Amino acid sequence: MEMTVNIVRMIERDQIEEFSFGNDISLKEKLAIGFVNPKDFDKLGLVKSLHIKLSNNYGEVIISQVRDEKIPEGSILMPVSIWSNQITGVENGSIIYKNLRVEVEPTRDPILQFKDLIAKIVINNK
Amino acid sequence: MMRINCSGCSLLCDDILVNTNGTIIEQVIGACKKGKQRMDQLNAKNRIISPMIRKNKELQKVSWEEALNKVKEIVKNSSKPLLYGFSTTSCEAQLKGLELAKRINGFIDSNSIICQGKVLNAAKDSGITLTTLAEIINKADLLILWGANIADSIPRLLNKALFSRGKFRLTGREIKTIIIIDPIKTASFEVMQMRDTALYIQSDKDIDLIRFLKEKISTSKEISENKIAGLDKEDLKRLIINLTNAEYGVIFVGQGLLRPNPEYNVLKELIELVRVINSKNEKGRISLTLLGGHYNMIGFEHVSLSFYGKNHSLQFSDNILIKTSDTIVSKVANDDFDCSIIVGTDPISNFPYFLSNKLASKPLILIDNKKSATMEVADVFLPSSLTGIECDGLAYRFDHVPIQLKKILNPPNGVLSDEEILNNIIKKINNK
Repeated sequence: MEMTVNIVRMIERDQIEEFSFGNDISLKEKLAIGFVNPKDFDKLGLVKSLHIKLSNNYGEVIISQVRDEKIPEGSILMPVSIWSNQITGVENGSIIYKNLRVEVEPTRDPILQFKDLIAKIVINNK
Repeated sequence: MMRINCSGCSLLCDDILVNTNGTIIEQVIGACKKGKQRMDQLNAKNRIISPMIRKNKELQKVSWEEALNKVKEIVKNSSKPLLYGFSTTSCEAQLKGLELAKRINGFIDSNSIICQGKVLNAAKDSGITLTTLAEIINKADLLILWGANIADSIPRLLNKALFSRGKFRLTGREIKTIIIIDPIKTASFEVMQMRDTALYIQSDKDIDLIRFLKEKISTSKEISENKIAGLDKEDLKRLIINLTNAEYGVIFVGQGLLRPNPEYNVLKELIELVRVINSKNEKGRISLTLLGGHYNMIGFEHVSLSFYGKNHSLQFSDNILIKTSDTIVSKVANDDFDCSIIVGTDPISNFPYFLSNKLASKPLILIDNKKSATMEVADVFLPSSLTGIECDGLAYRFDHVPIQLKKILNPPNGVLSDEEILNNIIKKINNK
């Protein structure tokens, strides 16, 4: 299903806080997450234990999901993090954090750990 | 107890009380979650206070001398160094960063270029009507949050802007109207009351609303449209009445308005809309205010403009500033760099994956005080003190007002300020 992702700063899901005081588990729990409208939750056939896979031209990422009535239908809200930035890109010379079109599907595949995402970078290059 | 300015965000609150025993902060009164978190970083379990160098793929603790020698080696082998960050450093450190960039013929940019600096760029041809926090407190009767979730980004700003009583506003929240234009019901909506207006605009349709408002306000024509950008006729009417009758209205420009479009510049058109409203409104005016979250994001613009005549994206060659149309994004995207010096920011978390990958593929020197994704790929890590707690420094508040931040505690042994570290790098490079 095609949806729109908006990436925002959330005071309760703040990467600086997690990097300062948390650990790799809390980083993933707090930041590898997307908020979806209950109608989309039903359309995607989600249950609480399922993850969602977001993919677009820039990349793909698997995250956990939470139903949230405040989110407009067709949208997913994510906190800024290394997870959300797997699907961001550059348009017209600027980094795009808003209105990213993604294909969304439910999955039982695991969410990548912080160290796995870092390893993707480091192993490729250093 | 002592009263300090908080460096938790760009509001730089001046009413925070702290109690220290000379070693740690024992009590903090008046700070929001971000401010308290900033103070707690002093003793955060993931704080890093030793210089480190990557050896055999692992960061290992080394002496300052060894770390600075490694920095010198990286920089000496570089012909296209990149410097980036500086929005969570003092103006003095920003100036040192610019001096270093000039010395090593580097390219330097701040976080502002991917955030609120875009608004200032959009205003270069036309000028911009800005305002200050004091003006908002003392005069404002209309607050418009446009794509701006202040409650999460600058938590105490609504306390001051919306609930406080000012010199010319002897009543506070009672006479202040708030309008929120956002596709998402954010935490900021929680402060709304009966008189206020929530406008759930369709995603990416801000330009339609701006153009509609410009046309209706400049021509004073009746509204014939039933819907614009997903907003009903009655809401549109109410918005126009508020905009054209406010004695002192302020539009808070948030991240939601910063998405670029090849066909139009929404920020330029918003600035033009404000000009149109102000030309029609005889008894009051509308101003804009920018909401960069980092505590000294706007400082770099001032320091760089004052000393070098350009507010960001500076390229030096033969130790002089040369013209460039590049930004940090184009430099990294085009692989037009061969090492980077990152100061007080975490691009590996905040940049798209393909940019992070490119940044990490070249030697990376990081000046910061905590663990981050960028630290995980850094070749050299230089630990810095917390400005506004462990060292003094000047910072510019979100409304462009300079504020002096005070040192209240000594940093851990051997930990230096960003300014001192950058100065030591310059000295080390100069020392043949």
